[in-house]
Amino acid sequence: MKSTRSASVWRRARYLAASVALATAVAGCGGGVGGSDDEKSGDTIKFGMLAPFSGTESAFGDYMKNGAALAVEEINADGGIDGKDIELVTQDDGCDATTAVAAANKLVSQGVVASVGGYCSGATLPTLPIFLQAEVPMVIPAANSNALVEADQENVFLINGTGTQQAAAAVAFAKKEGASKIAVIDDSTDYSVDLADSFVEQAKSAGLDVVLDATMTPKEKDYSAEANKLVKSGADFVYWTGYYQEGGLLNRQSKDAGYKGTFLAGDGSVDASFAEISGKDYTDNVYATFTQTPDMLEGAEDWIADYTKKFGDEPGPYSTQSYDAVRVMAEAIKNADSTEMKDVNAALRDLDGFPAFSGPITFTEEGTLAEGGFAIVTIGDDGSFVLHDDLQG
Amino acid sequence: MSQIIINGLFVGSFYALIALGYSMVYGIIKLLNFAHGDVYMIGAFVGFVLLTSFGGLAAAATIPTLVLLVLVAMIFTGLLGVTVERVAYRPLRSSPRLAVLITAVGMSFTLEYAVRQIFGPSPKAYPVRVSGGSVEFIGARISTAQLVLMALAALLMVVLAFYVNRTREGRAMRAIALDPAASTLMGINVNRVISRVFFIGSALAGAAGVMAGAYYGSIDFLMGFVIGIKAFTAAVIGGIGNLYGAMLGGLTLGLLESFGTAWLGGEWRDVFSFACLIIFLSFKPTGILGARVVERM
Repeated sequence: MKSTRSASVWRRARYLAASVALATAVAGCGGGVGGSDDEKSGDTIKFGMLAPFSGTESAFGDYMKNGAALAVEEINADGGIDGKDIELVTQDDGCDATTAVAAANKLVSQGVVASVGGYCSGATLPTLPIFLQAEVPMVIPAANSNALVEADQENVFLINGTGTQQAAAAVAFAKKEGASKIAVIDDSTDYSVDLADSFVEQAKSAGLDVVLDATMTPKEKDYSAEANKLVKSGADFVYWTGYYQEGGLLNRQSKDAGYKGTFLAGDGSVDASFAEISGKDYTDNVYATFTQTPDMLEGAEDWIADYTKKFGDEPGPYSTQSYDAVRVMAEAIKNADSTEMKDVNAALRDLDGFPAFSGPITFTEEGTLAEGGFAIVTIGDDGSFVLHDDLQG
Repeated sequence: MSQIIINGLFVGSFYALIALGYSMVYGIIKLLNFAHGDVYMIGAFVGFVLLTSFGGLAAAATIPTLVLLVLVAMIFTGLLGVTVERVAYRPLRSSPRLAVLITAVGMSFTLEYAVRQIFGPSPKAYPVRVSGGSVEFIGARISTAQLVLMALAALLMVVLAFYVNRTREGRAMRAIALDPAASTLMGINVNRVISRVFFIGSALAGAAGVMAGAYYGSIDFLMGFVIGIKAFTAAVIGGIGNLYGAMLGGLTLGLLESFGTAWLGGEWRDVFSFACLIIFLSFKPTGILGARVVERM
């Protein structure tokens, strides 16, 4: 969900990547220029996952890998896909466009037939043409920048609702709360700015008064200057579109500075750590826009227990989405009875209400969810986010 | 306006505490200790480990607990600093400056990713928070926690200034900064003094780490990176090698950032503060107090 490269560098990287991918594909067809180990194996179906396992976003990589691994294990225990086991192959994209391109090529050369990764939008974007060249269908669990949709590729499907859908939920909630002066703060990353812009646009057309549109630098500790601006703007409703670490700090520090209004956060902030970082007595009046939390779903306790037992750590953001991505992809391959991209794409588009954590999944022609399914969650007694308002009616 | 100044001074006092270590080490052996920011991070983690392993500590009253934590963390990070110097810097003391710079960068990564392996990459929440009410002070809102932490930082700096300027060991440090060879001839044990400088500098960074953890409430293995660079900047603005310069530089940087955010917005803060620094340094490359060579140490 981060982008750090300028457009021209990005374009060059993409061009380079495409040619490398092509070269790899040609080598593959030729029957192995030293690549016999990497031939598509007959015994397993390889799912590839790009996620950040190093760098500042590395926590999310493990959450995603574990979620996906759990799904793979379940499906294999259940007989796999028509008797073939799924094998999960992960590569580190470091949340960086250049690293991601190399990692995507590596996955392709390892013979993956489906991609179930993608966390940072900025790192996922340049990998799209590589997977298209290699004819690999993609179900992206986390990355949800509108840029991914605008790339207009037939093999791209987003499990996570897009920024536009999420912003709509935030605006609906602001109106419901009767907020009169709205502030929005982003953390200057691609995903966050995207969401903030979308929110401002929709809030204005809904007739809401946006009094502050600020940006802050992530990875720091002191946001009292921003908190101060928020108080001064006189806002009674703020939408924070960044991640939980800065979100918790901002929430605490703005309350310390005297902010008394509603604090609404985006889905990147939905994590139990948000409440821990905010601290006791700072969790009142905090809400977030989120797809759906595991604890609202039947059988989720077991899922969380399984996950915790297996990985020694509780599931985090995008564990469930990655779990879903694998299941959706497996379902589509099963339905298509083929791993050819064309067939799998069609099967993905044909899915109708596939039961997933994030609600029933039906894809639009564009590959986004037919229903964003965003709800409003709030911090419960144990510090985790629980359903507050599903915004239905 | 006064709120902006208070915010700036508060952040600045953290920068100052860490900048002191940078400045002292540079003053005495002309080394940029890039692992210094990570010592700050380790300090925060030492406090975290203590709090989580002794549940009683977290339940106790916060201010004495905090002081105790700060002391333990200071001893630990001080010893860590001495070890780092012994392992990564002393063997290379007569090597080209660049080689030591690289071992410093290497040390920084070693510490960061060792902590990542032990504690995991996700941020940890601090079990103890210094909190309390806030007071109005010439139109600004300042919490008692901020006051306590600023007082603690000031106290540490005063003790340090006294130590360096008024004691025998302090005089030895200043002597080595002026001329290591002559100091050796005068019978000063240079290695021991350098170890002591590392101990003190690292202990201050460790103290800042615990204080930041207890105030902001979230710590992670990369928390030392940005603040390390900022503290280094602060040390240079103040005049690297100069004790008071480091304190002044830290406060200056904190104020610049605070005003940058207020006037131009958070996304322009670093642009504003660093542009000011470039302009300032091109007129006065030695920093605010850098010219006062006599006071170097």
